[in-house]
Amino acid sequence: MSGARRRLLFFAGLLVLWEVLVRLQLWPDYVIPSPLAVARALVDGFVSGVLPRAILISLRRVALGYGVSLLIGLPLGLLLGRTRLLQDTLGTLVLGLQALPSICWLPLALLWFGLSETAIGFVVVMGAVLSITLSTADGVRNTPPLYLRAARTMGARGWRLYAGVILPSALPAILSGMKLGWSFAWRSLMAAELIYITTGLGQVLTLGRELNDMTRVLSVMLVIIAIGLLTDYAVFRPAEQRVRQRWGLQGVA
Amino acid sequence: MTPLSASPFWKLELRGVSKTFRSSHGNYHALKGLDVSAAPGEFVCLLGPSGCGKTTALNIIAGLEQADEGAVLIDGRPVGGPGPDRGLIFQEAALFPWLNVRDNVAFGLAAQGMPHRERMRLADSHLEMVHLQEFAAASVYQLSGGMKQRVALARALALNPQVLLMDEPFAALDAQTREALHLELQSLWAATRKTIVFVTHNVREALVLGDRVLLLSARPGHVKREFRCELPRPRPMESHTLVDLAQTVMEDLRSEVLAAQEEARRERRSS
Repeated sequence: MSGARRRLLFFAGLLVLWEVLVRLQLWPDYVIPSPLAVARALVDGFVSGVLPRAILISLRRVALGYGVSLLIGLPLGLLLGRTRLLQDTLGTLVLGLQALPSICWLPLALLWFGLSETAIGFVVVMGAVLSITLSTADGVRNTPPLYLRAARTMGARGWRLYAGVILPSALPAILSGMKLGWSFAWRSLMAAELIYITTGLGQVLTLGRELNDMTRVLSVMLVIIAIGLLTDYAVFRPAEQRVRQRWGLQGVA
Repeated sequence: MTPLSASPFWKLELRGVSKTFRSSHGNYHALKGLDVSAAPGEFVCLLGPSGCGKTTALNIIAGLEQADEGAVLIDGRPVGGPGPDRGLIFQEAALFPWLNVRDNVAFGLAAQGMPHRERMRLADSHLEMVHLQEFAAASVYQLSGGMKQRVALARALALNPQVLLMDEPFAALDAQTREALHLELQSLWAATRKTIVFVTHNVREALVLGDRVLLLSARPGHVKREFRCELPRPRPMESHTLVDLAQTVMEDLRSEVLAAQEEARRERRSS
């Protein structure tokens, strides 16, 4: 059985189970609505334009915040990985900050930037930038010494050693940091939108709760999951696949 | 520092090279007063028990490590850091997995600033020298261990080094592959006339390949004895003269292995 079919069957089974539970009427339908009702809410959300608008706004925010995180995290990671002094000082700080859930930056961001897009963007960046930095630094630090020695005996130095050996050898680690960073960015944004009401998917979700509308709550949750999965399948999987193939890490399938 | 008088006869000269690694566990004397010289186009093998400092000696020649005392001269001039005039081949091929075979061979040429077309041409011609031209576009993981080492050879030779340094390059290969590579290396050497310093712990390998075999002592390493090997090439592994000579060298080596073990035991006791 192929992976796609296995997946399809699994989710179909899950839906059937859901429907069966609803039919048994163990709980009132405002606690567990039927899959059909959730689907209807989903369609309504798209037809009325509420969901597309919210999706666009959230995607723009996450793209902006993630972009800024890459611009800061990648160079910072490269520096940390190669400079002992920075590693011991800034590296420790970054490691410590990572223990802080990014949503904890929201109060500070609101005091600094007010009720603004900047405040939300700040939370997203704080969520994504640390893991990108740390993975990049790890990848750079773990460049096999043999590669460095080989490159140096061939006369590679400075910039060329960096761009030609250290960076490509760190690529798998950098990629997994970027993937992790993306999912952190997305989660941080949702948390921020939930707490600090503005437009965006998080707000639609909170609104669902305020209206006691379980179908709406579940439909928005499905959208949030779908966006996370889609980016993974469309962007990060293919990139990882290519690296694994080139590096020869691929199992013989 | 003693003044260095140039002796242009030698391509490569090590004079009184000593090296001690210092750590919190104590000092580790790797080399003491190592003298090695190689004439232009000569094939010199450094033979010794494991841990005798053979690899350290190569690293010092390559410029990856600094000697505490002594000098390394190429054509009578002292060498500094690593450079493309000394090609180094490791026990592992150390090819870059993110480059295809051709780009691996061209890597050092790119570092020298050679234009793209020219370095592709040179890479291809060197792949041809090691009979791997049809693998130019392949990924590294698709090659066998022996093929990887041949690519590493092509990569080193493409830079046209003055001296080729080889650090047990065939030790991880199976016997058949190793023998095939011995023949290939000899024909490459005959064709390019490179000066080669080849490090090994395998007596037969040293005698099959070398014009001269320098037997290193147990740590701290220095040259204990020197054997000339003037058998006609290519040398079959099982020729009688070679087997006899190997017997003699083996006995010398055995006493050094014992000495090395004794030394290690003494260090363990004292630490």
